[in-house]
Amino acid sequence: MNVETFKYDNRIVRAFAIATIIWGIVGFCAGLLIACQLFWPDLNLNLQYTTFGRLRPLHTNTVIFAFVGNGMFMGIYYSLQRLCKARMFNDTLSWINFWGWQLIIVSAAVSLPLGLTSSKEYAELEWPIDIAIALVWVVFTVNLLATIVKRREKHIYVAIWFYIATALTVAMLHIVNSLAVPADGFKSYSVYAGVQDALVQWWYGHNAVAFFLTTPYLGLMYYFLPKAANRPVFSYRLSIIHFWGLIFIYIWAGPHHLLYTALPDWAQSLGMVFSVMLVAPSWGGMLNGLLTLRGAWHKLREEPMLKFMVVALTAYGMATLEGPMLAIKSVNSLSHYTDWTIAHVHTGTLGWNGFLTFSMLYWLFPRLYNTKLHSLKLVNWHFWLGLLGMMFYVIPIYWTGITQGLMWKEFTQDGFMKYPNFLETVLQLIPMYKLRAVGGTLYIAGAFIMAYNLWRTARNGQFVPEVEAQAPSLAAQREHALQGVEAHGKTAYWHRVLESKPMLLTVLSLVAVAIGGAVEIIPMYLIKENVPTISSVKPYTALEVLGRDIYIREGCVGCHSQMIRPFRSETERYGEYSKAGEFVYDHPFLWGSKRTGPDLHRIGGKYSDPWHYNHMDDPRSMSPGSIMPRYSWLLTQNIETNALAPRLRALRKVGVPYPAGYEYGQALKDLDTQAAKVVENLKQGSITGNPNKEIIALIAYLQRLGTDIKGSEASTAQK
Amino acid sequence: MIKNVLTSLGGIENYGIVSICLFFVTFLIALLWALLQKKSLVQHMAALPLDGGEVKKEESHHE
Repeated sequence: MNVETFKYDNRIVRAFAIATIIWGIVGFCAGLLIACQLFWPDLNLNLQYTTFGRLRPLHTNTVIFAFVGNGMFMGIYYSLQRLCKARMFNDTLSWINFWGWQLIIVSAAVSLPLGLTSSKEYAELEWPIDIAIALVWVVFTVNLLATIVKRREKHIYVAIWFYIATALTVAMLHIVNSLAVPADGFKSYSVYAGVQDALVQWWYGHNAVAFFLTTPYLGLMYYFLPKAANRPVFSYRLSIIHFWGLIFIYIWAGPHHLLYTALPDWAQSLGMVFSVMLVAPSWGGMLNGLLTLRGAWHKLREEPMLKFMVVALTAYGMATLEGPMLAIKSVNSLSHYTDWTIAHVHTGTLGWNGFLTFSMLYWLFPRLYNTKLHSLKLVNWHFWLGLLGMMFYVIPIYWTGITQGLMWKEFTQDGFMKYPNFLETVLQLIPMYKLRAVGGTLYIAGAFIMAYNLWRTARNGQFVPEVEAQAPSLAAQREHALQGVEAHGKTAYWHRVLESKPMLLTVLSLVAVAIGGAVEIIPMYLIKENVPTISSVKPYTALEVLGRDIYIREGCVGCHSQMIRPFRSETERYGEYSKAGEFVYDHPFLWGSKRTGPDLHRIGGKYSDPWHYNHMDDPRSMSPGSIMPRYSWLLTQNIETNALAPRLRALRKVGVPYPAGYEYGQALKDLDTQAAKVVENLKQGSITGNPNKEIIALIAYLQRLGTDIKGSEASTAQK
Repeated sequence: MIKNVLTSLGGIENYGIVSICLFFVTFLIALLWALLQKKSLVQHMAALPLDGGEVKKEESHHE
């Protein structure tokens, strides 16, 4: 056969490797900072750019898209070339992918602390950055698919299937969830409202976990684990079932993030059923990985990366057993909005993604620099610090979650709430929050040790920019394949037809992932009764719109939900449970996913305007012991009245029925009138308010929350 | 349970049934596909990561 000689590109792999180390440490440190703010609220130094609300999305975006994202590209660019026996299709595309991605991360690091956010979890970045993400992702996908097309290995290994599914699904999720109408350069409103927005967001959010944090890393596991153990995967047949089962089921499971909310019951049940089914393919994959080491466990002593890989797989198994369990409605009724979810995701990210990334780095660096690892002792230190750090993180936080969930639901024998003051349940958790910070510190210490060890390794060796390889030409492969058809018969033929045609495989994968989303999302639009209208629910006033934008800017949704579930423990504490029809003008929805503070959906009218004024200036003056940061800048910063007209126009475009031309004059008059009323109310608390300040808009918004249906039950069309 | 889910879709029952069927068909095809593959081919596929085609074979890279 005609053998061709070619070269693998190691430069791009090294670039992504360095990026994942740097961004990993940045993301972990951001996490530690906000973890400490939960028991030391002044740690934001009274700066608006460093509050929990603004830094929390920075932490999540950095670890997901910068740490795991770069780690994923690193592994894919290394393994894809070798599995395809071909250099990447185009080096320029590879570098556009690299620098484009880094630019996006830097934009996120700047824009999120500035409060430029859409508020949709893990999709907070505003529309210009969203467009950049889509473009860079297309570049990556083209480079990936074109490399597969020009490959010299006829067969497509299962890892590549996972890469293809990742590329396609992330593109689909990102585009559908990010659809928004811009109001100005860095402000937009989701085209979806309320329940529909929630469903699309959690279809995206859940599958971001699935197709950004899971499928690419499973592909990498299927490549790097056999490579390090120097033996094939335990069962290749199982890997095929794992792949199709996982990608098909995962996409349906999003609604488990919205159990007992105003989402229609059928969608909740569908999400729950498919979530429980997910345990089968997930565990199939985990066992396939662990059983690959059957009879070769001694290799863990020789190959440091295997230890990290085994912990990663174990964490994956734990998280994917726990996930379906949390998706069962009765369990979710306790766990949702508590720290239990935080513990769950950190088992996944610290264990599965973190340890798998570390294992790849320990595998790659000696090979990229043609040398030995600088110190095995330091690898061991990293391993144990990382493992202990993970334990110290998740165990206290599990404790926290269950404690808080039970405290919220506890009634006295006389039928009263045992802990009617939400703050009581928060103060109980502070020691655990401190322990969690210890865990995070240990984990970060391990990451620093790894960075030092890998830097020394690089210094000891010499970088190998390209690796020469040989493989038979495509023409020779084709000829060989034709002979194979005759030799293997029909089954082999069909197998080869599907697998040797990457585009067909690509289309089938896309169909598999698109079905689940379509079935859940489309009916939500087609069937009106899914979101019953309530006649008393009206659009926000001009002042409230700007107040709501401040609420979004400050990331209040990171700690406060706006969704009261239909439980007695919630209606007693917060008031009437939330109805789907109450959110029809909410672009975006602000239901939240965590209650570090209490739910705010019925906060309107609960406290006086002066109370809110003082509380925002210094929460501890009104709620001693509160862990909420001060928002004193709201008292001094002016309301952006210039932004009002374009924002109202954008909201009209997404379906909010403001009268035509309302934004030209009348809106500002209404705003002034309402602001004057708030200022008047503030006088009751001996406060001289300034109607131009942001606090006035925020108070107006908070006082409106949940009040539309109060006293208007008779006029509702609620079913 | 499934019946309740599907009937509450209202007017588009077939849509739900078709998708559930599609899931099982997909799963069955994947299962059959996996089980019916020739052993030699499976072994070849499983061994793909072990041979990257590098001219100079990688050696042990630790202490």
